Amino acid sequence: MLLLALSDAHIPERAIDLPHKFKKLIGVPNKIEQVVLLGNCTKSYSFVKFVEHISSNIVVVRGEFDSKSLPSTKNAREEIPLSTIIKQGNFTIGCCNGYTVVPKSDPLALLTLARQLDVDIILWGGTHNVEAYTLEGKFFINPGTCTGAFSTDWPPSQDPEAEPDKKTDETGSFADAEPASAAAAAAAAVDETNEAETESDDEADTQSVSSFCLLDIQGSTCTLYIYTLVEGEVKVDKVVYNKS
Amino acid sequence: MSYAETIDQAVTNCKQQTILMQRCLVQDKLMDALKHASVMLTELRSPLLSPKQYYELYISIYDSLSILSTYFVESHTKRHHLADLYELVQYAGNILPRLYLMITVGSAYLQSADAPREEIFKDMIEMCKGVQNPIRGLFLRYYLSQRTKQFFQADDSEAKKANVNFIITNFIEMNKLWVRLQHQGPLREREQRTRERKELKVLIGANLVRLSQIVEMDFELYRTEILPLILDQVVQCRDVVSQEYLLDVVCQVFPDEFHLGTLSDLLTTILKLNPAVPINKVVLTLVERLNGFVERNTDVEDLTRGLAFMSVEEGDKNLFFIFWKFLSQMSEERPDLSLQELAPVIRGILKLTLRWYPDNISNVDVLFKFMHEKCKDYGKAASEELDSLFHDLLLASEIKSDTAFFMKLLTECDAYEGLLSAQNLRLQKDCANEILDTLTYAEWRITSKAELEKILQVCGSLFKSTTEKASSSLMLDEESELDSGNWTFAPDQEKLAQLTHLCYNKSIDSHSELLLTCRNWFQQSGKNIIYHSPAILANYWKLIRRCQLRSKKKPETREKLHVTMKQLFKHASRIINDLYNACGAGCFDLLYKLNVQTASLADQCELSDIAYDFFSQAFTIFEESLSDSRIQFQAIVNMAQTLQKTRNLHTESYYETLITRCTLHGSKLLKKQDQCRAVYTCSHLWWATEISPLGEEEGVTESFFREGKRVLECLQRSLRVADSVMDNVQSCELMVEILDRCCYYYIHGDETSTHVGVKYINGLIELIRTNLDSSALEINPILGDGSKNTSDFTYIGIDGSYIYRNPASSVATVYNKATPSKAVHLESIPVEHFNRTLQYIRDQKDVDDRFKAINV
Repeated sequence: MLLLALSDAHIPERAIDLPHKFKKLIGVPNKIEQVVLLGNCTKSYSFVKFVEHISSNIVVVRGEFDSKSLPSTKNAREEIPLSTIIKQGNFTIGCCNGYTVVPKSDPLALLTLARQLDVDIILWGGTHNVEAYTLEGKFFINPGTCTGAFSTDWPPSQDPEAEPDKKTDETGSFADAEPASAAAAAAAAVDETNEAETESDDEADTQSVSSFCLLDIQGSTCTLYIYTLVEGEVKVDKVVYNKS
Repeated sequence: MSYAETIDQAVTNCKQQTILMQRCLVQDKLMDALKHASVMLTELRSPLLSPKQYYELYISIYDSLSILSTYFVESHTKRHHLADLYELVQYAGNILPRLYLMITVGSAYLQSADAPREEIFKDMIEMCKGVQNPIRGLFLRYYLSQRTKQFFQADDSEAKKANVNFIITNFIEMNKLWVRLQHQGPLREREQRTRERKELKVLIGANLVRLSQIVEMDFELYRTEILPLILDQVVQCRDVVSQEYLLDVVCQVFPDEFHLGTLSDLLTTILKLNPAVPINKVVLTLVERLNGFVERNTDVEDLTRGLAFMSVEEGDKNLFFIFWKFLSQMSEERPDLSLQELAPVIRGILKLTLRWYPDNISNVDVLFKFMHEKCKDYGKAASEELDSLFHDLLLASEIKSDTAFFMKLLTECDAYEGLLSAQNLRLQKDCANEILDTLTYAEWRITSKAELEKILQVCGSLFKSTTEKASSSLMLDEESELDSGNWTFAPDQEKLAQLTHLCYNKSIDSHSELLLTCRNWFQQSGKNIIYHSPAILANYWKLIRRCQLRSKKKPETREKLHVTMKQLFKHASRIINDLYNACGAGCFDLLYKLNVQTASLADQCELSDIAYDFFSQAFTIFEESLSDSRIQFQAIVNMAQTLQKTRNLHTESYYETLITRCTLHGSKLLKKQDQCRAVYTCSHLWWATEISPLGEEEGVTESFFREGKRVLECLQRSLRVADSVMDNVQSCELMVEILDRCCYYYIHGDETSTHVGVKYINGLIELIRTNLDSSALEINPILGDGSKNTSDFTYIGIDGSYIYRNPASSVATVYNKATPSKAVHLESIPVEHFNRTLQYIRDQKDVDDRFKAINV
């Protein structure tokens, strides 16, 4: 089955819409079984309509700018949970925006969360930076921001000395982290685009890389497809995770 | 001689006579054959047939007469001379059969070279006048035109002219008959007659098709000999069906170059038509043809050649000018035209000017102004049909397709806005929505204030609310809804918010001005700024980030940018205040988050004073206004997360003040479990971790802010709270969560730095064990282990909510409170969680020797 993970759309407050190319890719009904919105995706009427058009099976967790409940339903206001669990194939998947995870996006803190929820995969968001890695046999996926929305986190280093694969080191200093090549590649791409920018037009500097993730779950195998929009072209990376 | 009662009988008779006729022809009994033909032709005299049936009969007879005609030609001079035959058939008893036979003979005679062409032609067309019954006459003349069409290939212009005259004469007579058909019979059958006439229109149109075939590319002939006569007939007949149809055919069948040359004549004719004729259809057909001309002739040479057709006397060869003259004349002469009729005409001319003069805004302006004036004259008589017409006019696909042109139109064409504002509010909103959609889809960048203001003005309708519920009870509902922090979709406002993302200027000051312009305009929409303010603020954030990056790239500009940034933060603060003043109660949580994020941005810009201010602002909102306990909890944890990532607050011990305040608020939360979680989370505030974009690295960077002693204090404090929780399940779960935190710090360093040592962890494990053992007593012995079926699972989430995983559904259900029906298994939650943590510690022993000291 296919599970689509979207996060941090921030429409309309930070972005206008999904990139046209993304819409073309995912805007097909009856292809994707389940959509997970990992926070900050519920304020736009057109976006919610678009997601409903992809699949009726939508799981939402609350981001810091989401309201307490879903705005779509008139009566029976359903509260948006901070975290929830999905079961697909042989995997249990924990979903959480991560704005209440301290330290933010810390692999060990996320590992603690995975243990608390007893899940194999953690889907989280909030960083506007696509990432995927395994740690202690668990799979951690952050689909980044699907609209390339501005992030108030520290900006990616403009310093040429800073290594693009910093993430590798971060997790590498602990336990047995093995970050997916895709995350590193995406991070590298960020640096490239930044370097290519001319000084006169620096709007793109304030933009994050647009990305989303698609999980193909078959029994004990989860194939992760990471879609990033680099210089107007959609790039796809594949990572396979097997449950031991 | 008589005719059959029904069509079937008539056709059968016709067939019989044909067979008899053929038989006679084989035996060369010409006189008998003619007699049979004559009997057959009598059927055409039947008044009982409808036009359709008459046509059917005619086809059948035409075929039979063709046989006769072939015989005539083949045996000409061998057995008879056609000149004699032509005389002979004059003796047929009845006029209709006589004329059919005459035309058959005449056309056969024309095939021989020695025939007196002109005389025969003249005689035939003169004789046809003898039949004045509309249907019979029409078909007779149609027969004439069908039989003679093969003789019109003339080379010299004189002959050509004669042919043209022949066809036009026939056409005029046919049209007269066709018009007369309308006025025959009883009045109540008028509609039916109109329908029948329309079925016959091809007979008349065929003449024009034929004309277009002979005239080929001879424009002079067309202009002098053909068009004036046709138009004259069109005007004179004063018949709606005829006028509409004939003008359409003229536009369709003749080459579009010709229309260019005779445009004025055509347009003048349109004005002289019967008032009931829909002018817009004719104009649209004409415009389509003219536009087709441009489309066909993409290369310049063809175009100039084609344009040469336009006569010199029209002065400047400006098509639009001709149409404009037509339009003003029309508005003068036909004040009866309704908006419904006018709008499509304008739409047609708009299409024309956009195709021929794609960059000419003033033409479009003139048209919209004209329409606006008309709207004023007619006042408000809105109908849905009219709305859609105006919608088509204002947002014609030709206008929207090129965004650059569309923008130019929006900003430079005053009449556009004028016309839009003359529409009803609903339509205005629809249009504004579509305009914004077009701009955002094209990601059009708005760079100047003038441009932006124009667009905001055009979209002004979106600021107004459609329903007036100022003092009604509905207001209260809305108020209370907003109070609870619920979000209602407002697609219109959403689009306005997105408009702010289109603003862009290289200069930071100009960009800021654009945003302020948005802010000022949005002010008028009252409470709705809850939809726009976050967007404007986000754009200020982006601007601040741009300053930050610029000052990094060019350190020499640092001073100046510093000042700019401070100014930008002031604007940001103002935006937040606007929102506070307008919506207040509806969005405290939002205001809190906006303050927190702005603060973190200020910290990144090394503006510690500003960052401190925004953080303080957030705390004030927390203290004064956030009342929902769960909102409070996540607000504090979010604050802790943000503070933990700050780096520039250490001057003036801002950081210490803020984190102490944060922890203190955490420890005072309403529920004990929230207190416990908030406090152990706040322990991280004394334990900075790396921020890789800053080049920090765990194990390399020495300067992390870390105070292990305070970390331990927090953990101890939260443990005390956990211990005081009466509910054993909750209490144990909290302790396991604290144990998890201990493991986190244990990995980060040994006791000397973190103060979280083996002894403390072992003690905690013991404590949890004891507590779990005592709570194990509570487990219902009957349900006991047996009840622990593997299908139903419950977990406690990050904020203490209960997550029930049900095998029937792929998604778990989340409750804020434990529901009794599912509470049976709650005891296992901390047990299982504890086991998982212990397993984790066991696993860590393999990779980290320090873990071996922990007793599991």
